[in-house]
Amino acid sequence: MLTTIAAAQLPVLGALLAAGALAKVRTAMNESEPGALSRLGPAALVVDRWRVPALLGCAAGEMVLLVGLMATGHSLFRWGAATFFAVSTYVLWELRRRRPDVGCGCFGEVSAIPVGLRSLGRTMVLTAMAVGTVWTPPVPGWAVVAGLTWSQLLAVAGGLLVLAALSPEIEEAAARLRHRAPCEQRPLDPATALSRLRSSAAWRSHERLLSSTEPVDSWRELCWRFFVYPGHSHAGDPADVVFAIYLSGRHPAVRVAMVDAAGRPIEIGSLQESIPVSA
Amino acid sequence: MPHRSVDRRRVLAAAALGRTLDEPGAVPGDGELLQSVTGEILDVSPHLIVIDTPDGREERLVIAPWATAWRGEAVAPADLPPGAQVIIRALRSGRVVDRIWADITRITGVIQSVGSGSGDHTMELYCGPHRGRRTVVIPYRASGRLRVRHPQFEPGYLFDAIGVRENGVAQARLPATSQPPYRWTAVPEPPPGYSGAQSRISGTATWSDAFDHDEQGAAYPMLERSDTDCQEAGVSCAGLPYLALGSVLNVRNVCAGRTSVLPIVACGCMAGRFCDRCLECGTSPRGRIVELSATAFVELGGDLTKGCFNARVGLG
Repeated sequence: MLTTIAAAQLPVLGALLAAGALAKVRTAMNESEPGALSRLGPAALVVDRWRVPALLGCAAGEMVLLVGLMATGHSLFRWGAATFFAVSTYVLWELRRRRPDVGCGCFGEVSAIPVGLRSLGRTMVLTAMAVGTVWTPPVPGWAVVAGLTWSQLLAVAGGLLVLAALSPEIEEAAARLRHRAPCEQRPLDPATALSRLRSSAAWRSHERLLSSTEPVDSWRELCWRFFVYPGHSHAGDPADVVFAIYLSGRHPAVRVAMVDAAGRPIEIGSLQESIPVSA
Repeated sequence: MPHRSVDRRRVLAAAALGRTLDEPGAVPGDGELLQSVTGEILDVSPHLIVIDTPDGREERLVIAPWATAWRGEAVAPADLPPGAQVIIRALRSGRVVDRIWADITRITGVIQSVGSGSGDHTMELYCGPHRGRRTVVIPYRASGRLRVRHPQFEPGYLFDAIGVRENGVAQARLPATSQPPYRWTAVPEPPPGYSGAQSRISGTATWSDAFDHDEQGAAYPMLERSDTDCQEAGVSCAGLPYLALGSVLNVRNVCAGRTSVLPIVACGCMAGRFCDRCLECGTSPRGRIVELSATAFVELGGDLTKGCFNARVGLG
């Protein structure tokens, strides 16, 4: 029974190692927020220029263990995984003592909240799981995944549940999804707004009034993007046709106006104005 | 994409969204309107100052008995030298001098290099893609005062000081803020927006001398990079909404109780890197939300030597 549970933890370890390695590589490569690595362990423990290599080295170690565990049944990789998680436990303990303000960085920048007992408990559980696999039959991880029985599936689910309960990152990810920055504060691609404009009824009804289909000016204000096209009014006078596209929602509102050279709005008349908002 | 006049954007946006057009300028109703007058001193006496304005007019202003002047330090108005460039805060429709700042300059940027040696230091600063590089001299007698609030005289750290222009050289005299403890590329994240964007945002308003003479406008940090050709825009720790060149801001000086409607005329990419607070009247929320031209700052009741005021900014 114990052997079954221990053997079933091999896929769990594989999943955690894969997620950790990918998240670390993504965080190390992502330069959108310079200085973020100074708040993540173990990068926080080394000098500035070694932070990216330290994170990438950690990810490389995880990848090697992942491939070794899944492709072979050699005990070297199982002992390696046990040692890796034991050392991680020590590093997290040291991080908590020396830099209580930084996160563990286990899953990249999602793990930015300070190291707590749950993160420490998780690495201890992972160490115990890895030690447990040493005494199981030397079969590769993929073979375990391919031949999972119902009892082993239950053991996998149990292992994942324990790790999920010890992962503060899940709450952090949920909070980020729930409290997403409002549309006004999110950078949004002008090309998306332009394609939404081109597929709108306002565009189709005003296209014949435009002298050119290339905008002469475009800017963004709050959750609206504006495109200005040279055109002419129904009477034939030159005018600027300005479209305003709401940047949120699947079928955003599109508003249109015509303004003459003196800055006076020109009555559009009974033309269809916009698609209703469904945001 | 070519830009048309940014003034026209306001008209076009108002037409598309059915907004009313607010004309830029001071909003009356907050006490006597302040006026700013800029120019070069032609003559000065204890009671009268004559200046040559940038458009070539000669202005004669009465100096109020309580008026004070600053040129590197507090001086009597009559001691200002002819030829000095001044910004005057004036009362009574711009006829009575209340306060004079002479040859004042503000040096805001990222430290690139610092000259070694004892005595005066020469510092090279990067002031943003639109403002280029500037050289500032830190006289030995001012260095102690500056180092107290700018402990890191190292490349990569931000610098913000107020000084005087002497013989074409900017000389720092006062720290305009406490130096942020992070490098300029490591600006803290804004707090998460829990309940959508706010219609009014509180923070710090500062000034800059990078605007044209007499220009009434503001530089704003949160502009789309693709719209401004500025790869350093869109950074702020104050959780600001995206706006554009030509958008009109309603800027209120909370300390003086004065409000102005000002257009965004420049990219405030360097202002957005400062995550500091203003202590002019109470403690402001962190983050520079707007950088004003010197004349707009003065007309809102700000003191150029203090460098900031607590501001509340909204759109239109």
